[in-house]
Amino acid sequence: MQGMKLWIAASAVVGLLSVSASAGNADLVKQGEKIFNTKKIGNCLACHDANGKNIDNPGNLGPKLQGLSAWPEQALYDKVYDPYTTNPISAMPPFGKNGVLSDAQIKAVVAYLKTIK
Amino acid sequence: MIGKIVKTSVAVLMGASVAYAGTFNTQAEKDRQALVKYMEKKFSDPAKNKQFFPYASAEDFKSLRKGVKFEEFRLGSYAYDKQGRSQYEEINEMPPYEDAIDAGEELYNKTKGIKQCFPDPAIAGEYPKFDEKKGQVVTLSVAINDCLKANGQKPWKLTKGKLADLEAYFAHMSKEAGKKVNITIPSKAAAAAYERGKKNYYSQRGYLKLSCATCHVQGAGNRVRREVLSPLLGHTTHFPVYRLKWQGLGTLERRIKGCEKNQGENPHKPGSQWMSEMLYFMAYMSNGLPVDGPDIRR
Ligand code: HEC
Ligand code: HEC
Repeated sequence: MQGMKLWIAASAVVGLLSVSASAGNADLVKQGEKIFNTKKIGNCLACHDANGKNIDNPGNLGPKLQGLSAWPEQALYDKVYDPYTTNPISAMPPFGKNGVLSDAQIKAVVAYLKTIK
Repeated sequence: MIGKIVKTSVAVLMGASVAYAGTFNTQAEKDRQALVKYMEKKFSDPAKNKQFFPYASAEDFKSLRKGVKFEEFRLGSYAYDKQGRSQYEEINEMPPYEDAIDAGEELYNKTKGIKQCFPDPAIAGEYPKFDEKKGQVVTLSVAINDCLKANGQKPWKLTKGKLADLEAYFAHMSKEAGKKVNITIPSKAAAAAYERGKKNYYSQRGYLKLSCATCHVQGAGNRVRREVLSPLLGHTTHFPVYRLKWQGLGTLERRIKGCEKNQGENPHKPGSQWMSEMLYFMAYMSNGLPVDGPDIRR
């Protein structure tokens, strides 16, 4: 019985993993969007509006994000990981360096940023 | 002739002693004047001073007032946020903090020792003070608790409740008496405490690496989500405040706790040396503004 439960749980986990691995970009973008707009996670909207997106009451401590679809993924990743590398006096928090967002979360955010025209 | 010499030498001596007393706050006074100049310039005409609002849109500028005067900075973001200002004025027609002032007056009259410790209740603008005997900064909240302890009583919570009520009474009496913020830096040790407080205010802290100044100096007038950021200038003039979010009254220490959490910082203890010295710096920056508490905030 006990073993059965474990087996089901394990296969559920494997199932999840394979789903997210094969889910492709659309899911990743969705995850990224959620991180962008959720106060307890990324809270990017506290400072940024985003061109073409419907952001609920964005702040303006940071620039309105636009044209990011043209940025290389690595540049976006670096910006979110640690903005001080390109701008030592940035008012933007270093989300990766300080462990606010994990590698996987930043990748999801980057996928979302890539959809900003 | 002799009379004239005596007079001039007295004048010289006076000049010398003024300069001497002034030496300890020279840097603080420079800092304060620079801050006042910065804020007055920024809010003389925000749309014309775009360099202070690098990311604001034309729409954003429409909601900011121009020609904000020195005395108005005590109103926090309502000094320049048009919409906030009109809501503020509406609520202030029936201020929700009047009971707290009454409760504070009663505490003042009935709590053992308080009247003796604070014979003049119009003192909200005099704190924090540098206590030369202790060699440290004492905020009004800490002074109240020291007084309670000296009279064999339990200290009060530094964030709300009785202490906030009593401070509401002190602020009210100071406002009625037309008092202004009047923070002094009487010694070298006091100047060092001020400098430490300034450093606390300007350092990037917490996992978000934001400093208070990011939001309340450079950021003042910009928005974090829908919230228009208030200026450092005037930050200490109007506490305690009745906050709609709290549905009650809270001290300056309580308000700052919220900001530290937003920075991703473990809040410093109210009454700690770190907090008291930062408040000393913040209050000095508001020197010359009218005491204006208690007040309301969203
Ligand atoms: C506290 C304010 C703040 C927060 C929160 C914030 N940013 Fe920023 N961001 C800024 C500022 C200020 C800049 C401009 C300075 C710079 O480029 O470093 C900026 C710049 C950027 C840029 C470069 C835009 C350009 O056109 O150059 C990107 C991309 C970006 N942020 C993404 C994000 C993402 C994604 C998040 C959330 C995970 C986020 N930001 C959270 C303040 C913030
Ligand atoms: C991420 C931005 C941010 C940071 C960093 C920040 N604050 Fe705030 N603070 C706010 C917001 C938003 C409000 C509410 C709107 C307003 O009044 O500014 C606020 C309000 C306040 C108020 C109340 C003002 C009033 O008139 O009611 C005080 C005082 C204050 N902050 C002090 C501080 C101090 C001290 C620090 C650093 C320890 C700090 N803040 C850091 C965003 C911030």
